[in-house]
Amino acid sequence: MSRSVWKGPFVDPSLLKKVEKQKNEISRKPIKTWSRKSTIIPDFVGSSFLIYNGKKFIPITISEDMVGHKLGEFSPTRKFTSHTPADKKAKQVAEQSALKKDLNEKK
Amino acid sequence: MARIAGINIPQNKVVRVGLTYIYGIGDKHSYDICKNLNIPSSKRVNQLTDDEILKIREYIDKNFDVEGELRRETSLNIKRLIDLATYRGSRHKKKLPVRGQRTRCNARTRKGKAIAIAGKKITPLKK
Repeated sequence: MSRSVWKGPFVDPSLLKKVEKQKNEISRKPIKTWSRKSTIIPDFVGSSFLIYNGKKFIPITISEDMVGHKLGEFSPTRKFTSHTPADKKAKQVAEQSALKKDLNEKK
Repeated sequence: MARIAGINIPQNKVVRVGLTYIYGIGDKHSYDICKNLNIPSSKRVNQLTDDEILKIREYIDKNFDVEGELRRETSLNIKRLIDLATYRGSRHKKKLPVRGQRTRCNARTRKGKAIAIAGKKITPLKK
């Protein structure tokens, strides 16, 4: 069931405060937020966000089309994996092992 | 021959049923059309007069999006989600269920027919 209209869109009060504060500043750093449940309201258009997905912050600039969606919709929380055909698999494994090697050398 | 909303020619059916062959018109809409245009429920599509067909056509044009127009609208809505890079868009792209259903099993409507995984051994039944 959708949300009652009379309540208006839900935006985290803390996030609103952050956006308000940023409007007065000249240098516009992206706003770091954990509030994935907040609706994008027209005030957000043009500003950029760093949205937490449980592991890291996903950078996103808000465009006009995004109004009405939630912030969390733009920051996927799961990694999508699928089966790869055998001929591509060998290449993928080689890449991954090379990456691991690099990491070990750096350590 | 009754051509309503482009290509649809349902024949020998009761009007209320025949109209549902049009994409975008289901039981409810076709019932509303018949009611508002005073078409008796026993009438069949090939018994319709030209005047009645014209009326139905006008009524549909005025009130509903139908066939190509409706298809375009839905595909545009999906395209919007994909272009915005939302979670729902990505589910559409991957042809997986969009509304949070499980995919461990089932979900065959979206996934299509099951494909066997090559090289997977079938475990023998225990005695």
